[in-house]
Amino acid sequence: MASTGERPRTGRARARLGETWRSFALGTLSVIVLLSVWQAVTAGGYISPIFLPSPLQVFRQARRYVTDGSLFWHVMSSGRRVLIGFVLAAIVAIPLGIVLGTSRVAKALFDPILSIIRPLPSLSWIPLTILWFGIDEGQKYAIVFMGTFASALLYVMESTRRVDPLLIKAAQNLGATRVDVLREVILPGSLPGIISGLKVCLALSWTCVLSAEMVAATQGLGALIWFAKDWNNMALVMVGMVSISVTVLMIDTAFRAIEDRILPWERHQRRRD
Amino acid sequence: MAVSTIIVADRVTKIFAEGRRDEVAALQDLSLEVNEGEFICLVGGSGCGKTTFLNLVAGFLSPTDGVIYLRGRRIAGIEPRAGMIFQSYALLPWKTVFGNVEFGPKMKRLPKAERRAIAERFIRMVGLTGFEHFYPGQLSGGMQQRVTLARLLAADPEVFLMDEPFAALDAMTRQVMQEELIRIHEQSRKTTIFVTHNIDEALILADRIIVMSARPGRVKTSIQNDLPRPRHVDMQLSPRYLELKTQIWGHVEEEVRRHIEATPRDPGER
Repeated sequence: MASTGERPRTGRARARLGETWRSFALGTLSVIVLLSVWQAVTAGGYISPIFLPSPLQVFRQARRYVTDGSLFWHVMSSGRRVLIGFVLAAIVAIPLGIVLGTSRVAKALFDPILSIIRPLPSLSWIPLTILWFGIDEGQKYAIVFMGTFASALLYVMESTRRVDPLLIKAAQNLGATRVDVLREVILPGSLPGIISGLKVCLALSWTCVLSAEMVAATQGLGALIWFAKDWNNMALVMVGMVSISVTVLMIDTAFRAIEDRILPWERHQRRRD
Repeated sequence: MAVSTIIVADRVTKIFAEGRRDEVAALQDLSLEVNEGEFICLVGGSGCGKTTFLNLVAGFLSPTDGVIYLRGRRIAGIEPRAGMIFQSYALLPWKTVFGNVEFGPKMKRLPKAERRAIAERFIRMVGLTGFEHFYPGQLSGGMQQRVTLARLLAADPEVFLMDEPFAALDAMTRQVMQEELIRIHEQSRKTTIFVTHNIDEALILADRIIVMSARPGRVKTSIQNDLPRPRHVDMQLSPRYLELKTQIWGHVEEEVRRHIEATPRDPGER
């Protein structure tokens, strides 16, 4: 019985790899079809370029902004705002959420405040944050913070509360004190939930920063899209939109790699699924 | 050498949801003494309060009435002196086999080198050398239950409590685990209270078998298991074995019938 299910089965691994390739090929195919239909309808004059620029126009526009380095600069500005605002929100939300998840008194105290803040969209914070921070970087961080903090807190609280009580009992039975239980059971037990919650919040921070940049900024992808709209340059608008997708995709991939690193016990489970 | 008692349960009563319409008396005036080094099995049908009793000894529950003493000290609150093995393993999924086994010594703040030596020793004892760096999720049920056994041995409590630890295993794995437990008990001589509804399992393992009555649970009868040690599975063919089994089954059957007639559902056994 000692050898059941330990060694990776190469046959199955190969089958899985084949599956990955197939879905990659299918994905590529659907993108190519989309691009060619788009090119056909725009180049063929069925849709006026005023309403929808052709992929080639978008590509030319992108090449210009990539080669002069300004697209990179816009991406970095937005990325920095997202990162700082998001990290600040996480730094406050994680410890606070763990306290709220483990203490009934703290939860009763905070719950009403949280339920007032949580439904507010980040856009509604723009007037107040401009009043408090002006239109410089601090205001962008504040928007991201306010837009993600409450959700992050909620995710942390929930995952803390969902740690299996049997594991806590077992740990106490083995002599764990309250602090031990927190460090050895509740923290690692809620970590997977916290991380997947933070992933959602990271996507949310992009929404926040883009809306903030459209209202008051001279740099960043949101500002780029907004200026392009004013110049009636829809190709540039689409360059901005595609840049958002690509950046978020890259960050998501990086995040997943980190996840594998810090949740090694989950990795084999994810593989098994 | 005089036999000394290690656990004394004195007229223990446990009522769930007391005062409510759905109140359930799981145990009623249960009295039991367990001797130092003894391996006792609690048998009885479902709903007889076996698991409740174990949870009381571990301090996960507190009795409605009556007292349980462990070496003369009353059990109040979760009791690390009485280590529990759960049917569902309750291993920490984010710790490796080594990390799980090392957990008890770590909680005792033993120095690292000593912890390592203890963990390695008991991992070897349950036959898991080479699997130290596996996570519980990568192991089969039988292997996971071996880890819990090693974890308990490493934590070195004064009493072992086992709540149907092999119930979730397939029949063959269960048999191997029973033999392993016999071997480990013969080495460690730890006082053990083992809950099962499997009479064969009780006869293989126990020095003494306690048959519990249907709800509310109490001790119906206590039978000394005089089958010779060391024990093996093949003794299930001996006449004495069959005699004991018939005797125990007689007691259990009566209670099971009474339980079926008395209650349509089963809220207490958890």
